[in-house]
Amino acid sequence: MKGLHGIIFAYERRGDLQELGSIRSSASIPFGGRFRAVDFALSNLVNAGATDVGIILHGHYQSLLDHLGTGKDWDLSRKRGGLRLLPPFNYRGDWGAMPYRGHIEAMTAVRSYLEGIRQDYVVMMDGDLVANLPVQEIYESHVKSGADITVVCANDSFMTEDGTYFQVGEGGRITEVFIHPHTPRGLRGLGTYIVSKKLLLELVDDCAAKDQISWRADVLQARRDTLKIQSYIWKGYAAQIRSVQEYYDRSMQLLDPAIRADLFNARRPIRAKNADLSSTYVGADGRCVNSLFGDGCSIEGVVENSILFPGVTVESGAVVRNCVIFKECVIRKDAQLSYIIADKDVEVLEGRTLMGHATYPIVLSKGSKV
Amino acid sequence: MKKECVAMLLAGGQGSRLYVLTGDMAKPAVPFGGKYRIIDFPLSNCTNSGIDTVGVLTQYRPLELNGYIGSGQPWDLDGSSGGVHILPPYQGSKGGTWYKGTANAIYQNIGFIDMYDPEYVVILSGDHIYKMDYSKMVARHKEANAACTISVMEVPWAEAPRFGIMSVNDDDMITEFAEKPKEPKSNLASMGIYVFSWKALRQYLTEDEADPGSENDFGKNIIPNMLNNQERMAAYRFDGYWKDVGTLESLWDANMDMLAPESGLDLRDQSWPIYARSVSAPPAFLGAGSRVTHSAMNRGSVLEGTVENSVLSPNVTVGEGAAVRYSVLFPGVVVEPGAVVEYAILGENCRIGRDCHVGGTPENTPEGWGLTVLAPQCELPEGRAVKAGIMLNSKGEEVSK
Repeated sequence: MKGLHGIIFAYERRGDLQELGSIRSSASIPFGGRFRAVDFALSNLVNAGATDVGIILHGHYQSLLDHLGTGKDWDLSRKRGGLRLLPPFNYRGDWGAMPYRGHIEAMTAVRSYLEGIRQDYVVMMDGDLVANLPVQEIYESHVKSGADITVVCANDSFMTEDGTYFQVGEGGRITEVFIHPHTPRGLRGLGTYIVSKKLLLELVDDCAAKDQISWRADVLQARRDTLKIQSYIWKGYAAQIRSVQEYYDRSMQLLDPAIRADLFNARRPIRAKNADLSSTYVGADGRCVNSLFGDGCSIEGVVENSILFPGVTVESGAVVRNCVIFKECVIRKDAQLSYIIADKDVEVLEGRTLMGHATYPIVLSKGSKV
Repeated sequence: MKKECVAMLLAGGQGSRLYVLTGDMAKPAVPFGGKYRIIDFPLSNCTNSGIDTVGVLTQYRPLELNGYIGSGQPWDLDGSSGGVHILPPYQGSKGGTWYKGTANAIYQNIGFIDMYDPEYVVILSGDHIYKMDYSKMVARHKEANAACTISVMEVPWAEAPRFGIMSVNDDDMITEFAEKPKEPKSNLASMGIYVFSWKALRQYLTEDEADPGSENDFGKNIIPNMLNNQERMAAYRFDGYWKDVGTLESLWDANMDMLAPESGLDLRDQSWPIYARSVSAPPAFLGAGSRVTHSAMNRGSVLEGTVENSVLSPNVTVGEGAAVRYSVLFPGVVVEPGAVVEYAILGENCRIGRDCHVGGTPENTPEGWGLTVLAPQCELPEGRAVKAGIMLNSKGEEVSK
């Protein structure tokens, strides 16, 4: 049938995310004051009319499962199709003895699911991509160009952990692929690909028969001459959440109205799970500038250049500057924080002072009491 | 499917005392407290009280309300048995009529209630802001072996003449009911929340319908008839926050109460959450020049100016150098740079042009101060001044209250 099918890859473990990534997959990292990273890929797909989306998981996916539920927040709770969760079969409670070593290996593990895809085209996306991609437009350009595979690139060579970079030749065709380079060359790949279901199955089977595991090395790089691999260049905001520094820098960019206008484009809304919290309240002595606030915060102190998730309390006299504060954290009286990323349910006690730096933001792990 | 208890929510009011503010919506769909609609309160109370079957009686301008309630999922009222049902008036084979009064609205839906064969029916109103555990009221009803239980609260004696006043005996059983008495014998006011034994109510509704002289109203007909017939009528005392927000002033008051938890209206208390259908929008942004104090705000808002003592719904914009004080802004309102809004309620998607001045403080308007109210979609051109107490319709024309 016509239309798009989404596959989101959420199995990768990113060690550079430190405590933020050790308890959850990078796809379920909170981002932007009320979202999780995976909300962006899901919303991009749903906004392009996709009704069926599979999510490939591995290790520490409880947080992601809690977030996704039945998929109703993205209109993906359907009688036919909808959200399909694809956990590994060898899950052992931790990251597992063998996380998938590449997208091909991951897709081989769920081959029967691939076979059941009802749509003619498949959009592959990374769960840690934060962008508002016009997937419908990318799909149209894929069909029009007659390409075998379309890869989505950012218009930059920004260094990202475990990045993929593409050299683009005449007419937008991919001429070279660099995987995980020390110094980026070419355009930064956004881990987003469009391919027909038929070709995808052929490629997965062919690679499996040759004991090949990597989509990037064994398909994109090895077959760049035999397949027509076309680029689609996205000029808007695109963050890949793979290290603490990247997380911090990309979060702070949201304080720029132009970037928010791009990422939160009202024509392609980013949907997220809803918490039933009241309005955010700023008290008589509260002073909030240049900051984002989720629902249900209560602010009696000072908040500057920061991003607060829902239900954060900042008591009087407390000062929060250049911080990212996750859900339900409590910053007690007269505490001072700057350049801190506080994970869920952190409590900073009265009068404490914590300082990181713009180039070294400090992570407070989930539930810790300072 | 038998249910012990079914709730019927009277949501058909025109909201004529909210004048232009309701626009195309029924009163219970009017926004409240930033992220809520008035109807979120009774619906959430039902869910939190363990009542999973709710009939919502609608009549006037139901589109927005019906769309808002939808499947009932935000309130957990989308279960496979029961759930929330919208009940508009309908035509039968012998014709049908508009709901003539509150009692007639329930009478016309006897068939709906009978489907669940309940022991008790809770009658609720769609224009009250309060948090109440109806299961406690039902428990009181059972314990008193009553035919009807009415929730009451003590009001200051001076205000008693504005309410329906109940006199009770030593067991808190109701002995007398007086609608807006000039000389009240008690200060227990009815809150318009009733629990009936369905058998008794069914009979009184049928008799009331057969009486051509009746106004088919609970307060005017059903309750007095039951009292006259010596039915057991219990009072259930409630001492939490409760407010009828049927008027512009009370709606504004209740919004201001929300800002001060000491008023008793604490919406942050997670033990009794109020649920709402929420909008998809990014978090609220407070700009570098913003000065927001003692105010509530919501997602999708971009605030660059001054906001004091105000309640802001989602997707509100306040431009640089603009000031909003003691006001309630509904979803999508835009206050352009340099404009001032004071003591006002602005309907959905109002746009206040640059340097406009809307409303005034009581201090600066000694003669005839009042709230300034703008209808939904009202757009004010640059520099327009709208005095305190003025009401504008959606075309920006002045209308009288």
